[in-house]
Amino acid sequence: MNLLNIPNEKYKLPNGLEIILFQNNTLPFTAVNIWYKAGSANEIKGKTGLAHLFEHMMFQGSKNVPKEMHFRYIQEAGGTLNASTSFDRTNYFEKLPSNDLELALWLESDRMGFFLEALDQVKLDNQKSVVLNERLERYDNQPYGLAWEKIISNLYSENHPYNWPTIGHYKDIESYNLDDVRSFFQHYYSPSNSTVVIAGNFEVNKTKSLIEKYFGEIKNNGTPLALKSNSPSLEQLKFITSEDKVNLERIYLAWHSQNAFHTDDAALDILSDLLTGSKNARLTRKLVYELEIAQDVNTMQFSGKYGGHFMIVATAKPGKPLDEIKKIIMDEISILTEENISPRELERSKNVIKSNFIYSLQNIETIADMLNLYNFYLGEPNSFNFDLNRYNSVSENNISEVVKKYLQNNYVELRIVPERKNAN
Amino acid sequence: MRTDRKNRPASSGEINFILPTVQTYQLSNGLKIYFSEKNDLPLIRINFLVNNGSRFDPDNLKGLTNLLAMCIDEGAGKYDALQLADEFEMLGAQFSVSSDPDLSVLSLQVLRENFIPALKLLASVITEPHLKENDFNREKRKVLVRLEQVKAEPDYVADISFEYFLFGSDSPYAFPVLGIEPTVQNIQIESVRILYQKNFSPFNASIVVVGNIDLKSLQTELDDVFGKWNGKTTIEEPLVNLKKSRRKVFIINKKDAVQTEIRTGHLSSKRSEKDFFQKQIMNLALGGQFSSRLNLNLREKSGYTYGIHSRFNYFKEAGYFEVSTSVDVENTTNALREIYSEINNIKDGITKEELEFAKSSLTKRYPANFETFRQIATNISSKIINNLPDNYFETYIERVNSVSLADVNKITLDSIHPAELTTVLVGDSNKILGQINKDEFGETVVLDYDDVFNN
Repeated sequence: MNLLNIPNEKYKLPNGLEIILFQNNTLPFTAVNIWYKAGSANEIKGKTGLAHLFEHMMFQGSKNVPKEMHFRYIQEAGGTLNASTSFDRTNYFEKLPSNDLELALWLESDRMGFFLEALDQVKLDNQKSVVLNERLERYDNQPYGLAWEKIISNLYSENHPYNWPTIGHYKDIESYNLDDVRSFFQHYYSPSNSTVVIAGNFEVNKTKSLIEKYFGEIKNNGTPLALKSNSPSLEQLKFITSEDKVNLERIYLAWHSQNAFHTDDAALDILSDLLTGSKNARLTRKLVYELEIAQDVNTMQFSGKYGGHFMIVATAKPGKPLDEIKKIIMDEISILTEENISPRELERSKNVIKSNFIYSLQNIETIADMLNLYNFYLGEPNSFNFDLNRYNSVSENNISEVVKKYLQNNYVELRIVPERKNAN
Repeated sequence: MRTDRKNRPASSGEINFILPTVQTYQLSNGLKIYFSEKNDLPLIRINFLVNNGSRFDPDNLKGLTNLLAMCIDEGAGKYDALQLADEFEMLGAQFSVSSDPDLSVLSLQVLRENFIPALKLLASVITEPHLKENDFNREKRKVLVRLEQVKAEPDYVADISFEYFLFGSDSPYAFPVLGIEPTVQNIQIESVRILYQKNFSPFNASIVVVGNIDLKSLQTELDDVFGKWNGKTTIEEPLVNLKKSRRKVFIINKKDAVQTEIRTGHLSSKRSEKDFFQKQIMNLALGGQFSSRLNLNLREKSGYTYGIHSRFNYFKEAGYFEVSTSVDVENTTNALREIYSEINNIKDGITKEELEFAKSSLTKRYPANFETFRQIATNISSKIINNLPDNYFETYIERVNSVSLADVNKITLDSIHPAELTTVLVGDSNKILGQINKDEFGETVVLDYDDVFNN
């Protein structure tokens, strides 16, 4: 599809920094999106969460940018900004009126090249406290908030890089010191370990010289070796029950599946859509509409560089046993191994996916991030059409194949149940 | 040669931005259309707005408008609930219904090539919903379970309790959109059908369309699906009582919670062109963005929280000022002291630097509020809901720039009232009470969430 062809120019500076330029001058904004190829997968035991804490530290100023000014400069210029950390990578992004692109390049290059000069204990202590509160707010104090952590720590073995959550364990967050932060920076924040995407409104030649001006002199600290990781597997079924401050019981079932962009990855995404993607999806229709034993049901195919898993999550209506819900889920899985899905179900999912690709083109920041994502996983930024074709080429038969291949293996079953009331 | 990095690089010239134009017209049955053509992608977005929010809910039937919104797409025209969802999906269309205190919004995003069939489905939902009893009963059970579920969500409990204590039980804005358990139990299908008859009328609705279509074709399509739709020509608007409150702290006990959700604020005037920009600028300095006083103090200096925000929240017939955050339980009162102190201090006025920052941020960012189809539709919707002047978009930047420091500081004095702050803390009451010095925050009440709506 022509719309999904996003022509871009990709090149490298002598220090190894990769640059991807996509020009679209329709609107007067420019997005800058940087991926550092380091995420929580690169952490070591005892220091989990360091990649994410580091993301916070990157907003604490650098040699020429005082604390608090990174946000302030961009907001004052009418820009928006943020960052995120996942297992595989950390991204930093901003969108500005195009006449202030140089501001973004100055800020990003100052923290890529001259971060350590401005690092101090006060900033670290402050952000540790902020991140501890982030953990409390988003995980510990949320109903079902610790489920993800419990699932991955049981599904992935101790030595697999997806065994711990990106936010990190509470005790680990408390333990970071300045040396941890310095060493993480020196190890992973080299220009040769990152890619800068500039998308939107800009002049190509002028932008190239600005990139050279701001990023060219940053020293290459060497590129870390890729992690060695075996494909994860689960030796036995695991059943975990955990009490939480919730009023409804919830069941999670998680199977190892496949890495991002593996041949089966797209079929698993479509499987997820046809199980719970809409009211009329198989599990939603049965559990929520017909039997009314679940309040909600969701599925996801999570896939990363070093592993993936397929997950089904259902919340029970009060008084409805999780066993009954689980049975329906397992029956449905079993049906999928025996009978092909209908052509209409497959077409429906494909139509939704195709439309979503086009909807996502509305936002220049999304395009910038996708260019980085495709470049990271596939080595080719302009992979929108390739990606859509992955879905278009899935057949009815592929669906039952992936069900047989993955969902009949060992799994982790987590049940979150209400705390038993203590007499008080 | 080393790059000179000492100073912020200068901006290069001015950007060029053309605001989208909005055409408006009315169908012969009274339905108002707002249309903005946008051709860079082959898609169309519709927001269908109905003046039908929870402020219409009768006292004994809180949650009624929400249930109507939940039922309206559970079967319409020739399709039952599941078929209808299936049809939208076959078209790759994103369709959703939401409702808030003022409005019900049915929104649709669809590729140009599927616009006509998707529009027919949307129109069918609006003009010929089934509202069948069995679908209603299922949706009602869903809401009742949801009400049980949200009791475990500290942020929901905090938001809902705060609005209840802020408005007081006489006001239609006091109650959650979902309703509360005893009133939802009361709701029967008949009340839902009556509400539909009363409020789903072309005279009480507007359509916002943004997308890849020309006006003439759009007119033809809209005439075709909505032209024959008729409904009541007069709408009974509910009365909205508002009263001043006095300073009071409500602690909603959640034993062993590791954080405390904090909400504090007071009623404020409804949105008005006379003070909107001044309040917005003041709020940016106080807590409306990352480098605001509240965030720099409570997050970047003290590390009490992951984030803190303040805002003026506007309803059709009311408004309020609110600060919201969540903090580790040990720092609950430390945080509250700092919040109160920042609210007091803002009455001394904001600085010239804060004013300049706010103006620069608001005006330079303005064009980026019109990037996506959704954003444009949302902006037009906001203009309709708040009854903003025709030239609102075109004059926005000029109006922000014309605000003076004296204006902001005068409006701040008129609109921030520390003595009227209603505060809700959702957390472990024993741990919180242990931190409060006697009478420090005035009257303090401890209660369980289950008792909130009996107050």
